[in-house]
Amino acid sequence: MTWLTSRGSLGAGSLALATALVLAGCTSTSPEATPSGTLSPTSSSVGDLTSSNDPLTLLIASSGDSETKSVEAAVAAWSAKTGVQATVEVASDLAQQLAQGFAAGSPPDLFYMSPDALAGFASNGSLKAYGDFLTNKRDFYPALVDNFTVDGNFYCAPKDFSTLALVINTDMWSAAGLTDADIPKTWDDLDAVSAKLTANGHVGLAFGPQFERIGVFTAEAGGGLVVDGKAAVNSDANLTALKYVQSHLQDGTFAYSSDIGAGWGGEAFGKQLAAMVIEGNWITGFMTNDFPDVNFRVAELPAGPGGKGTLQYTNCWGMSADSPNQKAALDLVEYLTAPEQQLTFSAEFGPMPSIASAADAWTVANPTLAAFLAGALYAQYLPSQAGAGDVIADLNSQLESLKDGDPGAILDAEQANLQAVVG
Amino acid sequence: MTAAEASPGAHEQQGASTRANLPRRRLNGNLIGQLVLFSILLGLALVYIYPFLVQIATSLKTDAEATSNPISLFPNVWSWAAYERLFTRSDFPRWITNSAIVTISVTLGRVFFVSLAGYALARLHFRGRGLVFAMLVGVMAVPGVVLLIPKFLVLNQLNLYDTYPGMILPLLVDAAGVFIMKNFFESIPVSVEEQARVDGAGPFRVFWSVVLPMARPALITIVILSFQGSWNELGHFIVSTQSPQLTTLTKGVASLASGQLSAGTQYPIKLAASVIMTIPVAVMFFIFQKRIMNTTEGADKG
Amino acid sequence: MATPVTTSRRAGSRSHGIRRGERTAGWLFSLPVIVILGVFLFIPVLMAIWVSFSDWNGRGSPLSTSVHFTGLTNYAAVATDGGLAERNLGLALRNNAWYVVLVVPTQTALSLMLAVLVNRAILRGRSFFRTAFYFPSVTSSVAITVLWLFLFSTTGVINKVLSWFGINGPNWFHDARGIVHVALGAVGVNSPPAALANHGLFGIDWWEWLSGPSFAMTAFILMAIFTTSGTFMLLFIAALQNISPEQAEAGALDGANGWQQFWRITLPQLRPTMFTVVTLGLIGTWQVFDQIYTGTKGGPGKTTITPAYLSYQTAFEGQEWGQGSAIAFVLFLIIIAFTLLQRWALRERRLSKRRSFHHQTRGKTS
Repeated sequence: MTWLTSRGSLGAGSLALATALVLAGCTSTSPEATPSGTLSPTSSSVGDLTSSNDPLTLLIASSGDSETKSVEAAVAAWSAKTGVQATVEVASDLAQQLAQGFAAGSPPDLFYMSPDALAGFASNGSLKAYGDFLTNKRDFYPALVDNFTVDGNFYCAPKDFSTLALVINTDMWSAAGLTDADIPKTWDDLDAVSAKLTANGHVGLAFGPQFERIGVFTAEAGGGLVVDGKAAVNSDANLTALKYVQSHLQDGTFAYSSDIGAGWGGEAFGKQLAAMVIEGNWITGFMTNDFPDVNFRVAELPAGPGGKGTLQYTNCWGMSADSPNQKAALDLVEYLTAPEQQLTFSAEFGPMPSIASAADAWTVANPTLAAFLAGALYAQYLPSQAGAGDVIADLNSQLESLKDGDPGAILDAEQANLQAVVG
Repeated sequence: MTAAEASPGAHEQQGASTRANLPRRRLNGNLIGQLVLFSILLGLALVYIYPFLVQIATSLKTDAEATSNPISLFPNVWSWAAYERLFTRSDFPRWITNSAIVTISVTLGRVFFVSLAGYALARLHFRGRGLVFAMLVGVMAVPGVVLLIPKFLVLNQLNLYDTYPGMILPLLVDAAGVFIMKNFFESIPVSVEEQARVDGAGPFRVFWSVVLPMARPALITIVILSFQGSWNELGHFIVSTQSPQLTTLTKGVASLASGQLSAGTQYPIKLAASVIMTIPVAVMFFIFQKRIMNTTEGADKG
Repeated sequence: MATPVTTSRRAGSRSHGIRRGERTAGWLFSLPVIVILGVFLFIPVLMAIWVSFSDWNGRGSPLSTSVHFTGLTNYAAVATDGGLAERNLGLALRNNAWYVVLVVPTQTALSLMLAVLVNRAILRGRSFFRTAFYFPSVTSSVAITVLWLFLFSTTGVINKVLSWFGINGPNWFHDARGIVHVALGAVGVNSPPAALANHGLFGIDWWEWLSGPSFAMTAFILMAIFTTSGTFMLLFIAALQNISPEQAEAGALDGANGWQQFWRITLPQLRPTMFTVVTLGLIGTWQVFDQIYTGTKGGPGKTTITPAYLSYQTAFEGQEWGQGSAIAFVLFLIIIAFTLLQRWALRERRLSKRRSFHHQTRGKTS
């Protein structure tokens, strides 16, 4: 994995990428993660950083062994360099462990934080808004910074981002007599190939039973959960998308990963229970580590009636307001979000760097993963206002029985719930 | 024929221990009836035992075989991989250590405190005895789950959160145990104690040297119940700890089930963990089974 | 003969004689129990009551001055406000109600049947069977849940066995369909009449209330019966061995067959034990938490959420500590209500049967 200093023909590509990602912030259909002005952080969240000799603890939610090892190695290297002790813990339930840690007054110093968790923790003063102290602040993509800004305070450094794409098992692809030309570009194409690929004990397309995956279909139909700042759950576009998914679940060409005996899409893909899955960048490291014998390629998701669509995910390094050694924590964050380290993470478990300066190096190192990057142009974010997470969790619980359920009723019910949160 | 059997039956109502010696109900000497009964019972017993046999067998299979051939009790390929992974590449040994520390401390503590309080309630007269008794009864009425959140809050306030004392102290006393000891002490003749008091022993001396040694059967009951209760406890450990160094077996295996160590559906390793977890209580059960099963019988006074 | 304990009060004050130091000793001996129960059971309950009536948000002490009394806000949020919180409580109550309704009668009946069968068996077999049936009760609920997840998986033992009978088993722990709805669907009833669909309780319409436990919950129900039937079987065995056989024989002489003997003579005498078993069953089933936490965490489709788990989840994951405490107390009230209801339902008949039983045994000379 090399860092190329000569730009050459990739210069244009990386420029386009950077521009695209700046624009991606404008095309996301969910509003900024700013609650309606009623919440303000307590005084402990802005101001000077604490400093001491205490060791640091990090809490992460890992996608697999590859991510765990990668983060541990990076942190160990920083510890060796600075002499500050730091340990990495892997959470089995990140949300619960964070909530319990904050309530008990002994939270980890740094932790993965998603945009929807941010609203809740920011409002009760648990977090330190350190974004403005970052020396590499200008390097982060604006769209990502937006995701982690509440009430004008930039809380935490985006650590990476990923999009969802179509991951295809190349052996099964060619065994079904399909070629490069058959890579689905529209929903009709997808119908055809998933039918052909549903055979021999594996299903054509699999994904987790959650909106975090099914949402690509609503995006492709031209819908989304929040449009122009208003809840739009029961739009016609969303209904079209759910009906499309339902018909395929019923005819057996699509399946939920839980229904075919896997814990998530990646596992279904690795165990060859599905020929294609909808997953994000993290699948690459997982496959290399756990299922190295499965050959795959990544393609952009097909376009639906509303055009191309996919979902985008990002997490940041949250810092707790109670941390006794915030200066060291800040230093660690800067180390972990530096270009070299982000590119290492990317190589080891997949996600794309959150900083513009690493863009061209990433493109060079990962030509096969271009589809993920391309998705950034048109990707949507899930709404992240306080309370939106509960609505999505409820939506997910309804989507689990989508096969036999009533899509219209599901969407209507959640429309009411989301309106109560978003407006 | 049946009348002759009736009289031994009547005498048996005196004591539980003699009950087992005489067969009381024979189906009118009907051998076929007994065989039918036996086979029904055997069938049911197999249904009850089979899951545990499968548990052990699957822990020795490979992942693939666990999925493809779940029923068989004999793996095609014997694989110790699950156990190896548990003991060498995970925190499993630490979980065992933590569970052991907590269980032993709780058991010892409970035996001591519960017998003290039981003796006090049974034999010592002090004002407020009725109040303590009422408090115990009241406490037994509160369902455990209601206490999950508040126990967390209290532990937090006392700075016992995420510490060994925080795990052990709340479990040290058990209202049901106090009642068991109290009932037992009440069945010891007072004359024994009165004799000791006349000889000049203080209340604690009477308790420690005279009465407690006589209480061995009840104490063993307490030991068994405490061991089982604290080894199998989950809710309390969820709310009282957060750091991985203090994770007990129950909490650890629960996190395995939700896929922390093994993504999704790697059954052998999860079942291996649950096998190891079950071994101590199973051993204790088989050693003391007569006592355990007679205690529950004796506890029911109608 | 030992003097009864109560008469010693007349023996004089407690500071002299053989009763000296008793008062101090009494308090000292009970002190550990009082302190620990007080600190870790009594005070927590008080604190939880306070939190449920306050707006504590999870940071700092709940007793600090920045936490305010908010009256019934939290209770309203989970019980009447019409939002997601109320719906979650409704789902939790529905799930747990079905669990209780199916587990308690079944485990009572099954444990009784096992007790009767084991009691009739020849001696040597009896101890083996008692052990076999009681062993599951000894294991941890975590271990059993992990085992159950395996047995009831898509490619697990249960589905394999069902396939021998040509039945395609569901993906148990991931199937959110209610079994009553599935059964109704099999006879063609697929949608509810308007009366059921338009009205409801706690944000759940009556059609959903009647959906029955989901397949996932059914797997948990089977697990509950598996692990508790042994304990209750022992209680029934003890009670059965307390019954004198003379009555049964008298009944046989009067011409009653085995079934009538059991139903009219043995069963009424088991009433006290049955009362105990049902009470313990009710209290236990309304508190199911460990299995949900280990196994499904409320899924699939929120059909295995129970009030106990919801209380935990609302507080520890959602950071809504006030609502979580409110849910816990609602659960407490439900348990008390059911226990009292059951006590009332069985009380009068119980006394009269007891009287008649005593009357009969006193009548016999032996």
